[in-house]
Amino acid sequence: MLSVKNIIDIDDLSSEDIKLIMENADSFGEVLERDLKKVPTLRGKTLVNLFFEPSTRTRTSFEIAAKRLSADMINFSASTSSLKKGETIIDTVNTIQSMIADLLIIRHPDSGVLNFISRNINTPIINAGDGKHQHPTQALLDLYTIKKSFKSFKDLNVALVGDIANSRVARSNSRLFKRMGMNVSLVSAPMMLPEDISYFGADIFYCIDDVIKDVDVLYMLRMQFERQQKKYYPSIKEYNRFLSLNTERFGMMKKGSIVMHPGPVNRGIEISEAVMNLETEMPARIKINNQVNNGVAVRMALIYLILMSRQENI
Amino acid sequence: MMDNKKINTGILSGINNMLIKSVIIIDPFEEREYTSDILIENGIIRAVGTDLKIGSSVDFERFPECSRIKFADNLMLFDASGYHASPGFFDMHVHLREPGDEDEEDLESGISAALRGGITSVACMPNTDPPLDRDFLIKDIKNRASTLGFNVYPIAAATKGLEGIEMTEMGILRDSGAAAFSDDGKCIQNAKLMYEIMKYSKIFEMPLILHEEDYSFLSSGMVHDGYYSAALGLDGIPSLSEEIIVARDIMLAEKTCAQIHITHISSKRSVELIKKAKEKGINITCDVTPHHLYFDDSSLKDYNTNFKVNPPLRSSKDRQAIIEAVKAGVIDAIASDHAPHLETEKNIPFSEAANGVIGMETLFKAAYTILCKKGNLNSVELIKLLTKSPSKILKISTGKINPDLKADFVILDLERESVIRRQDFFSRSSNSAFTGEKLTGEIVLTVCNGKIGFLNNSVNLEKKLGNFR
Repeated sequence: MLSVKNIIDIDDLSSEDIKLIMENADSFGEVLERDLKKVPTLRGKTLVNLFFEPSTRTRTSFEIAAKRLSADMINFSASTSSLKKGETIIDTVNTIQSMIADLLIIRHPDSGVLNFISRNINTPIINAGDGKHQHPTQALLDLYTIKKSFKSFKDLNVALVGDIANSRVARSNSRLFKRMGMNVSLVSAPMMLPEDISYFGADIFYCIDDVIKDVDVLYMLRMQFERQQKKYYPSIKEYNRFLSLNTERFGMMKKGSIVMHPGPVNRGIEISEAVMNLETEMPARIKINNQVNNGVAVRMALIYLILMSRQENI
Repeated sequence: MMDNKKINTGILSGINNMLIKSVIIIDPFEEREYTSDILIENGIIRAVGTDLKIGSSVDFERFPECSRIKFADNLMLFDASGYHASPGFFDMHVHLREPGDEDEEDLESGISAALRGGITSVACMPNTDPPLDRDFLIKDIKNRASTLGFNVYPIAAATKGLEGIEMTEMGILRDSGAAAFSDDGKCIQNAKLMYEIMKYSKIFEMPLILHEEDYSFLSSGMVHDGYYSAALGLDGIPSLSEEIIVARDIMLAEKTCAQIHITHISSKRSVELIKKAKEKGINITCDVTPHHLYFDDSSLKDYNTNFKVNPPLRSSKDRQAIIEAVKAGVIDAIASDHAPHLETEKNIPFSEAANGVIGMETLFKAAYTILCKKGNLNSVELIKLLTKSPSKILKISTGKINPDLKADFVILDLERESVIRRQDFFSRSSNSAFTGEKLTGEIVLTVCNGKIGFLNNSVNLEKKLGNFR
């Protein structure tokens, strides 16, 4: 089974773990094609979505995954919780734990909160996104998507485009993709890159045109213009000029290359309206909806493997 | 008779064939002076050499000997013996006041002032109204100047509205033809923002022109904080105000490898900081104004507002240090910081007056007088500071006196002295620090983009010019 108890940082997973996750995602993907999209595997188990930061897609994705495995899922979001009444994170988590959760799926706006929680409880944890730090399940479903689109990972050219400095997706994805043998490039602007980018193991470019012809996987990151009431990047127009995917650039991409985005897409910012509208006719090239579908299968695999590993160790 | 005013209100004379005879060319590229003729046909320099002739049927024998300049149809013959020639000057720090303050200056009046000063290219600052922080504003200036037959290189704002809070669309501005970025008039106080701007400008290989002052030293200061501010009872601005930002930006430039240019430096310590930075290999250049070379804070004793400038005129020690720095090659360029102001902003009590003086028309004369005539700077070195060097800093190729190039040069009389008079200025404003000053060196003829831009009417034109054929 898995070599780790918690999935917090993508680098915690061994190569064997990743292989296992991909194989199980295939099996569960198969389950999702059936009419009866349910297996009794995790009946009686209780999972808790503990989301301190809003999310629709990720939370729902985990919920569907849990239910397909016949597990019970409780949703807990910070705005409705006693956190507003001043309860600390640890007390919140302990309260939930004493309701005997088998697995916690946690999202929090600050990097490092999950590491803190994991030191203070016994229940296994899956990171659904902690601040700018990591989003390992996104990386795994993205890897799975790439696996289904190409024969091999080796030497595939991947470009991550946008606000690298503030992106947990950029961190998890660049590490995982590089580990699997892909060539990772970052396309960004100095205001959106950390001082030292050696963690990413990637080449840097400042204009999407520099990578567009050679890229196999063009991965667009979400852009947020205002932080602390101030724009740190000049304008949408400047973003469109250097970092956006539009019809012209899409036309310059290689045959067989794909476009990905963790969602939700800011139409007209990261990807133009016109290119977004192409997805229905070109599902082989634009994988954004496909990523979402794969998310359920991959999360089913993760939940299954963590709980099965736990069982074996008891 | 050639009407100079007409030539200089933006309508360049149609004459674009010329033969300049026996002029001493000061060549800042070959770093030498040599006597030569220059033949220009259709605005292009056909030949530079000795004994050049026009291969045409114009009979110049009939014209009186005493006149240096003869015109025949679309042709000028100029006996320039005793005069010098230089590539047209490039003033890299000018406020043209367009858009927004056209009552102080506009492109037409600014261009005619430039041409009178022997200047054929200008880099203009973005603190206009509205400021040049959008691409269409840059394009507009370029198009206007192009229609007027002059070379204007607009510098775009580094921050939106020059507010020092958010950076401008630097990539898009670069695409629209901005020559550099600057918040001149103001100074970005936020170090982190300056750092981000340097990093971003680096990826576009665009120079940053930096006006350095720390606002916390400003309060109500209006002159240099020294002997004279104390004597005159005026709040002073210590030179530290400039120096600490120079030091800050040198450190930021060292880290980011950005190309920075410190404009209008005014103090001894700024010179020392820049000298050390250059020795370390940091990509830094700097310029000074003629008024900072020529005057110090002792000029303030009469509260003359034509000495009220930012940065202020500092002590004589600072002035000496700057002059030595020019000779030592630490200063890369001389630029006027031409800042036109209305009478209502200057001809008022000192504490109320605006900062700034015009300077394009006295750029060469003042620099020549203080550095070459009264100092011992070689004229080739001076010409470099006004031509080759600004071109190199802004990475723009400007005039050279070489065959096959558009004619872009100025003819100078290095002997002639004149007293600067308010009524002679072509600029719409007349707030000059040099009014009443006797300066050596006269601009005789300015040729820009192959056409005559300025012809000095005090040069022997009166004699029988009307006699054609």
